[in-house]
Amino acid sequence: MQALDIQPGELPPECEALRQEVRAFVAEHLADYPPAKRARNWSGSDPEFSRKMAEKGWIGMTWPKRYGGGERSPLERYVVLEELLAAGAPVGAHWVADRQSGPLLMRFSPDVLAPQIVPKIVRSEAFFCIGMSEPDSGSDLASIRTKATKTKKGWLINGRKVWTSGAHRTHYMIALVRTGERGENRHAGMSQFLIDMKTPGMTIRPIISQLGEHDFNEVTFDDVLVPHDNLIGLEGGGWNQVTTELAFERSGPERYLSSSQLLLEMLDVADADDSRQATGLGRIAAQYATLRQMSLGVSAMLARGESPALAAAAVKDQGALVEQAMPDIAHDLFGGRVDPDSPLAQVMQYTAMAVPSFSLRGGTREILRGIIARGLGLR
Amino acid sequence: MSDSMIEQSAARLFSENVDKGLLEKFETGAFPEELWQLAADSGFPLALADEEGGGIGESWAAAYPILRGIGYWQVPLPLAETMIGAQLLSMAGIEVPEGPIAIVEQGLGNTLSASGNVDSLTLTGELPRVAWARHCRWAVVSLATEGIALVDLQEDESVRIIERTNHAKIPADGLSFDGVRAVARAANPLPQLDRPVWTLGALARSAMIVGALEWLLEQSVQYANDRVQFGKPIGKNQALQQQLALMAGDVAAARMAVLVAMNDAPSANARDCSSTLFSTSVAKIRSGEAATRATSIAHQVHGAIGFTYEHMLNFGTRRLWAWREEFGSDSWWAERLGQAAIEARSSGFWPSLTQRRFDRGIRTA
Repeated sequence: MQALDIQPGELPPECEALRQEVRAFVAEHLADYPPAKRARNWSGSDPEFSRKMAEKGWIGMTWPKRYGGGERSPLERYVVLEELLAAGAPVGAHWVADRQSGPLLMRFSPDVLAPQIVPKIVRSEAFFCIGMSEPDSGSDLASIRTKATKTKKGWLINGRKVWTSGAHRTHYMIALVRTGERGENRHAGMSQFLIDMKTPGMTIRPIISQLGEHDFNEVTFDDVLVPHDNLIGLEGGGWNQVTTELAFERSGPERYLSSSQLLLEMLDVADADDSRQATGLGRIAAQYATLRQMSLGVSAMLARGESPALAAAAVKDQGALVEQAMPDIAHDLFGGRVDPDSPLAQVMQYTAMAVPSFSLRGGTREILRGIIARGLGLR
Repeated sequence: MSDSMIEQSAARLFSENVDKGLLEKFETGAFPEELWQLAADSGFPLALADEEGGGIGESWAAAYPILRGIGYWQVPLPLAETMIGAQLLSMAGIEVPEGPIAIVEQGLGNTLSASGNVDSLTLTGELPRVAWARHCRWAVVSLATEGIALVDLQEDESVRIIERTNHAKIPADGLSFDGVRAVARAANPLPQLDRPVWTLGALARSAMIVGALEWLLEQSVQYANDRVQFGKPIGKNQALQQQLALMAGDVAAARMAVLVAMNDAPSANARDCSSTLFSTSVAKIRSGEAATRATSIAHQVHGAIGFTYEHMLNFGTRRLWAWREEFGSDSWWAERLGQAAIEARSSGFWPSLTQRRFDRGIRTA
């Protein structure tokens, strides 16, 4: 049970100056950014905004200078992220690359792929998508069937990935595919590849979400030829690498801040003397304050080089509960009683339809709780 | 005393001296005098008191293992109350008396009123629930505008004690004051806090709740692994695993909220309270919510045996039901934190969260 013991993370003084810098940046560049768009939070994508962040040195800010990074501390990065997310900034274009693809390339292909690709991420010229799920492989990721076969010219990939966020507007995918048979060890025989989205043989088909929007895609691979050098890390080492990647994917402040705009809109119309409204919003405020400290604590663990997979699962599970409760609380307090043209009404509508995905993406609630249960010694 | 010394000495003292026999005897009405003496010998009641007042002058963070231990080992002593009373008295320059001290906040759940002048202050009113009052010679009373006062509960004839207990059979006595004379009085030593006893009381209860939650989670996981039905431990069922994982997340969240609040609490040597009220309200809300869900899950996991008096489970769950409502329930605090958040509006909410303080304050009236 020690593993779930997250200690408060202390922010060094330089972080507060940086925090003010980010607030000024948000005030300058997002002054007219409307609430309905802020509601998208990190799902909102704006390459122009990403380029402005890159100019500030806020993409790859902790990475080594030899890859173009800023060599700043993970806690400084944490402050930048939480400030941008709390304001609903459209960070989606570069988000995956900054959060997990860059770190993965630097760790598992430090001399071949990282020197070519990572500087482009830092300059906001390379955006990434994640090729993990398949039509028959959701939570059971080890059952993937998309296959890479080694040939003289390179690896030949065939198969299909699904729920690929942003495939239509990114430059690269990091895909987990099968390079060998799964033997007795069901996690064997998988490898990761860097794939240029313009490679011949790839077909991207949009999947429209219940929001009526195009974010997801189905990506089909039909004899897609990928250079030998694009194998990331070890052949057959894909599962271990993906586990590392998922720890990055699950630990950040985006796992509790996604519904922030709805909270802010509620605070602007609520009546402080209305006991029911104050109590409902006060509970959310307490959960926000707590999740922020937990998320910061996990970041501090990462900064110390620890591997907080269990803590990250707990933060994501608790965070999704709060994000998903938000539209129900809004419904309870204000449903059917607000001006339909008001920002609150627009944000309520958007958020109610968006939240079901929050406990699916990045590991379902049930998978996360399974991880926690194992950590408790129940499995 | 170093932090780890307090932790080790609390763990040793409580684990070696609090057992089921002692708790059952306590629930028949016997105050554990020997246990109190051991805790006093370890300096626990005066852990937070100023060194000049005979205390150790520890921070709340350093004293956390004592408070957490009261919950984890179900220690039946008025330690939290005495620690707070002694801290306030010593910081106010009033000599700390020996023995257990009860604590009272005027106007929150009572009709207490003060009259008279600086030299002769008298207190009148009905106080329906004061933890441990019958076992305390003294009470520290925090008054809305008159600072803090020390009252003799046992020797003053104008005090009447009506014996009551909470869910955990811990005294939660009624006090009737009919012109009780304060034996000492001083200004509130923590002027940034309008309600010092109530706030620090909520802080201490939150830490005790976390200790009890940690014990409850360990007991539940252990039971789920030991109890066999349908040929396998019941903990192998995903239905139970999911519930226990949720409970573990809740416990981790409550602990984080409390640890941050401990760091933000004032000590004799560092009296700044600028984030105390914010972090304490977060801690009491989050620990209270966790207590509600965790007691339900723990009982469900334990099945029928957990519903018996003989099984230890109820000694933890009954404390959680009592403590979640003392010094302000989670909904009481949530209403006030929510008022402050609404007053801050969208532009002020996030900056308040990162500085752990609302510029316009949190109204505890």
